[in-house]
Amino acid sequence: MRGPFLRSPQSTSHLMAQVVVALLPIATIAIWRHGAPAAVTLGGAVTAALAVEIAVRRAAPRDLSAVITGMLAALLLPADAPPWLGAAAGALAIGVGKHAFGGLGKNPFNPAALSRGLLMVLVPATLFAPAWAWDGVTMASPLARESGGTAPLLSAVWSGDVPGALGTSAPWAVLLGGLALVALRTIDGRVPLVYLATVTVGSIVLPGSDRIVAHAPWLVADPLLHLLAGGTLLTAFFLLTDPVTAPFAPLGRVAFAAIAGVVTIAARLYTPYPDAAALAVLVANAFTPAIDRWRST
Amino acid sequence: MSLRARLAQWIGVPTLVPARKRTADRAIERLSPSAWVSVPLAGAAPTVQVGDVVAAGALIARSQAGARWQRRVHSPYQGAVVSVDERAIVVEGAPLPAAAGSAQHTGAAGLAPSDIIVTVREAGVTGLGGAMFPTYAKLGTSVDTVLVNGCESEPYFTCDHRVLAEHGDEVRCGLALAKRAVNADHGAIVDREAYYPAGYERFLIRDELDRVLAPHALPRDVGVLVMNVQSARALCVAVCGETPMIERVITVAGDAVGRPGNYVVAIGTPVAHLLRVCEIDQARAATIITGGPMMGRALEAGAVVTAGTGGLLALTADEVAAREEVPCIRCGRCLEACPVGLPVAKIVERPGPEVLRCMECGACQYVCPSAIPLVERLRLAKRREVEWD
Repeated sequence: MRGPFLRSPQSTSHLMAQVVVALLPIATIAIWRHGAPAAVTLGGAVTAALAVEIAVRRAAPRDLSAVITGMLAALLLPADAPPWLGAAAGALAIGVGKHAFGGLGKNPFNPAALSRGLLMVLVPATLFAPAWAWDGVTMASPLARESGGTAPLLSAVWSGDVPGALGTSAPWAVLLGGLALVALRTIDGRVPLVYLATVTVGSIVLPGSDRIVAHAPWLVADPLLHLLAGGTLLTAFFLLTDPVTAPFAPLGRVAFAAIAGVVTIAARLYTPYPDAAALAVLVANAFTPAIDRWRST
Repeated sequence: MSLRARLAQWIGVPTLVPARKRTADRAIERLSPSAWVSVPLAGAAPTVQVGDVVAAGALIARSQAGARWQRRVHSPYQGAVVSVDERAIVVEGAPLPAAAGSAQHTGAAGLAPSDIIVTVREAGVTGLGGAMFPTYAKLGTSVDTVLVNGCESEPYFTCDHRVLAEHGDEVRCGLALAKRAVNADHGAIVDREAYYPAGYERFLIRDELDRVLAPHALPRDVGVLVMNVQSARALCVAVCGETPMIERVITVAGDAVGRPGNYVVAIGTPVAHLLRVCEIDQARAATIITGGPMMGRALEAGAVVTAGTGGLLALTADEVAAREEVPCIRCGRCLEACPVGLPVAKIVERPGPEVLRCMECGACQYVCPSAIPLVERLRLAKRREVEWD
């Protein structure tokens, strides 16, 4: 038998366990802040994700990937979601997002982001749309205040005192988990770095559409708001860094993160969708095969 | 270091193989010798017969006159020849006690290049880094720079570092002799070892001299001669000490070794003897390896120390960290670890001619979190590529 005989201690299941632990702070804060409904959404999503994983593979889960997907799918849902929405998101994420494409390593789109995208189409009323775009829909994000409303205060965004997805309950908790993963070299830190930098630059240089300037002027030229509010941090550290749906090569991943950043900020400043971070993940995912062809090393 | 490389080092994914140099402070020792040595011939023809009595350092095999690469094999022991075949000669007996400090390091002064080359050829000096290429043939080229490679070729190895620390004068003398033989103006001993496989000559040349070797080019194509530390020392010992190459220093390491360290060992020493005298716990060892942990081989019955054996490792299950293969998660660690920049995970699925650039260093397989046997697949892909050509 020939070498190599050594293996890095970083195994795939080890990496997944680290991601789960890194998601615990934000999941805990979300439940602490929003109470039982948040627990039902998170618990339902993880349970449904695991159930579908077991049903499809007809075996006990090999790793924690279904748990990660379930947690992320739940964190992308609004805090006041109906009780069944979490379970629906978890089941869609694993069933359609992962196993419909052939299972671990084969799915082109981030399963959690895909479940959120599907739910936006299937049950738009329960999900995000700003009041000034569609009457009668509750505002769901500080990025989507009503016309004439006051700008969300940064301190409120920082402490999670604003309506929004469970994952926006405490930006600092997302940041904590994300930076820990970068420090442990579990995820590629270049991806969040480039994504957040792109969002920052975009929010400074893009003037925004006339409608945005008229209805939500606080969205213009406020990089800190765009970095902290909505799913920006969750996207940066937990969605774009999913290795399966990101390009292979370092430079490819940089391009991928930049694409996601441009889509995020452009959607916020030029479309009525207030928080297009998950959408940006799906668009960037769609570019992954092309990016891999462009740069293979 | 480029900004890109620095960024990768700070926040990229981990791709370096740890050096694990726990024997770095163990001074070179002489082990109690085995009762016999089985000296590999590497194609040379025996010049002795069973029953002959040979002196230590005596010629026992040489290449045919017309052979492309001339090899000379000498007996490390004084004693009786007990077996001769086309692959090895077994000598029963004992080595001479080490003749310490007998060599006069006159360096290159007064020696013609051809004298050096002939002496080195007759002393049977070969590369001690692993490839075992005859050193005299390398000295017949014309280059402007000689590099002595002090970077260990594998993790765990510390033998070259120890030779440099304890016999630096001989290594420097060897470098001077090599420079004279190839008429080179520049020479250096390189012992900055930043990563595995920094010790590969193409990386040494790139990192040290900023000269890039084309995929199939040799160092001499860019005007460089690279020698292993121990080869340079053997060159000095052959010329100044008039002693042929009959021994080398190896590292014995790993958590299942009772007496880890760096040892002078006669070429041809049976590995079974080393297992005993180094107190290797075969029950604790998950793997016993001749060579390094990345490119070595699992111990085979009857294995002996050759000129290319840099070490003997007995690794525990914890060190090996073996685990089951799981699906690829496209994390990209393999391609970031690849020192020649191959898109490894893609190549093993759709091989192309670039796979021939793979040196099988094993860095990709080391970092793969999914425990995919990448090197095995790369070897297969390389073989196919050659056959289709």
